[in-house]
Amino acid sequence: MGKLTKSHMIETAVWLLIAVIFFGFTFEFNQPIEIYIFGATGWPRVVIGLMLIVTFGNFYHHLKYGSTTQAGRVGIADDDEVGSYDNLAAVIKVLAVLGTPFLFALSLKPVGFYFATPFFIALIIVIFGERRWKWILCITALIYGLLLGLFMVVLNAPLPQGNTSPFYDYSALILRLNNDLQQLW
Amino acid sequence: MIENFIAGSSALFGDPFTLAIFFFGVIGGMLFGAIPGVSMLTLAAILLPFTSDLSPAQGVMLFAVIYCTGTYGGAITAILFNIPGAPENAPTAFDGYPMTKQGKSGKAVGAAVLCSAIGGVASALVMMAATQPLATWAIRNIGPPEIFALVFFGLAVASSVGGRTIWKGWLSVLLGLLIATIGQDPVGGINRFNFGFADLAAGIAFVPAILGFFAVSEIFVQAEKRATGTFNAPKVGMSFPTLFELWAQKIAVLRSILVGFFCGILPGIGATLAAFMGYGEAVRWSKDKESFGKGNIEGVISSETANNAATGAAMIPLLALGLPGGALTAMMVAVFQMHDLEPGPLVFYNSPDLIWVVFAAMFYANLSILFVGILETKTILYLLKIPFQFLAPLILLLASIGAYIGRGLVLDVMVMFLAGIIGFLLRRSGYSIPGIVLGIILGKIGEQNFAQGMQMVHYDIVAYLSRPICSLLILAGVLTLGVGVYQALRAPAKKA
Repeated sequence: MGKLTKSHMIETAVWLLIAVIFFGFTFEFNQPIEIYIFGATGWPRVVIGLMLIVTFGNFYHHLKYGSTTQAGRVGIADDDEVGSYDNLAAVIKVLAVLGTPFLFALSLKPVGFYFATPFFIALIIVIFGERRWKWILCITALIYGLLLGLFMVVLNAPLPQGNTSPFYDYSALILRLNNDLQQLW
Repeated sequence: MIENFIAGSSALFGDPFTLAIFFFGVIGGMLFGAIPGVSMLTLAAILLPFTSDLSPAQGVMLFAVIYCTGTYGGAITAILFNIPGAPENAPTAFDGYPMTKQGKSGKAVGAAVLCSAIGGVASALVMMAATQPLATWAIRNIGPPEIFALVFFGLAVASSVGGRTIWKGWLSVLLGLLIATIGQDPVGGINRFNFGFADLAAGIAFVPAILGFFAVSEIFVQAEKRATGTFNAPKVGMSFPTLFELWAQKIAVLRSILVGFFCGILPGIGATLAAFMGYGEAVRWSKDKESFGKGNIEGVISSETANNAATGAAMIPLLALGLPGGALTAMMVAVFQMHDLEPGPLVFYNSPDLIWVVFAAMFYANLSILFVGILETKTILYLLKIPFQFLAPLILLLASIGAYIGRGLVLDVMVMFLAGIIGFLLRRSGYSIPGIVLGIILGKIGEQNFAQGMQMVHYDIVAYLSRPICSLLILAGVLTLGVGVYQALRAPAKKA
């Protein structure tokens, strides 16, 4: 098996899966275009075909050289300098960092930006290791104030207001206060 | 030309309101470029509706100034945080961030300030002198086959930098190209890969994808490093590059100006490809190729000179042909249309005052990068002293707002975080994030021009390749690709 590891096999399987899934979906829009003989599927299928060829090249490199870097490559990030995941707390912390933004994004439609944001800020600060509650509160208020000041007061940017009560009412209150503030000048 | 330039300058400095808009654009572009998570595109998207209240000259001038200073501003976050403010700053991070980690952030930012200004001013001067002849040349010699060939060459260059192997470089680019196929096909308007989501019919907006791959994935990488105990705080270095250091890079600057300008004048290409090709050429001609990606100042200089050199050049196809070279120039077309104007050859005859106010403003905006940029740099380097646990939520929220504002879709925020997770996983496995982003940006342009080119030559591949510029660029792309594959198959690998 050369220098192959389990992660190399998973990596290859993921690329093959992407190619197969996308190729399968090309049949959904496999219609001719009168003015263009390659149709809507021509370009994506070439990309998928190339992806398959390159995936085999990648697999060959893993088989022969493992995870080593090809000589002469430039501009490579050092992101693979990862420490140990033996510690369960580290796993939970990374999963929390990956998951919290998704929860925030999911909450934007029902809860709205104005209500969800302070909780999101505080949560991220805590996940990143800050435990001094005064700092957490102050920085949360500072970031929230800065964002509202810049995007709501100065730029009047439309941000999600939520669509459920009482969150929508809270957004409406904030926007009304902004409106009153704008009236002052 | 001189009289026109003086007239444009007088119109700019003679009206206090126009001058205020100019300074707003200079500061706003630099600030939004330099705040991690948002970019000049965010500012431009927010400002677009308000430009209807300005005169056409003021509106177009504001966007042109934001384009110049924002392109420079994005280098700051690329260097300090490994988060390029815009795709055109992605190659800057290859060497800029390693310099920050070595405590040379001041040198990297100083080089970016100076070279952005030099590239931008040189480009603005050529733009003023040669917009009309260059546009005429471009109309005669550059068509869809040439643009496709340049996209192919650019992708070949992008695949040769960033990934741990040529295979990973190409897989990154191909993933970007595949993402770009989501949405309507550019020829027949047929929906592709929308997976049942109606919002995906318009495709994946590239701003959320870029924010996800660059900004969010960087936050995740930093979080992982903290959680697993491998985080090393970057050092603040305030020393600027010496004149001797900069003078030693004069050839790199000249080469990048030429590369940047050539990429910029081609419709649809813009500053992103210019930066990648400027960086790629710096590596190709260097005697010390191995030092690139480890903190070589030439990498920062080449990329930043080329992307700012492309800003002036990108105005040529916009103003002379009405063809935008990127997202921001596309917004400028919208500004024209809001005022019932169409950019194109007639604009030079119908609105010469508008043209010369914009040209003068771009010249002064690039000059101001030098002065305002140095002042800004002295303060912005202190951003590195802010504890990351306080910076991370701010970056994530700014990115969320930046992703949402473009189309007002929560789906875009989700796409951004998904791109962040994918980027995080791919970076750990040695894939190239800039390669993915370039694939996304150039995918549609490449497909559209390939289709148009094929229709032009009636699907005759010999006729396609008998066009000299086209065949030269395809050959250069094939050679770049061939050398990469040869090295991958023959050259011994080194330890990761």
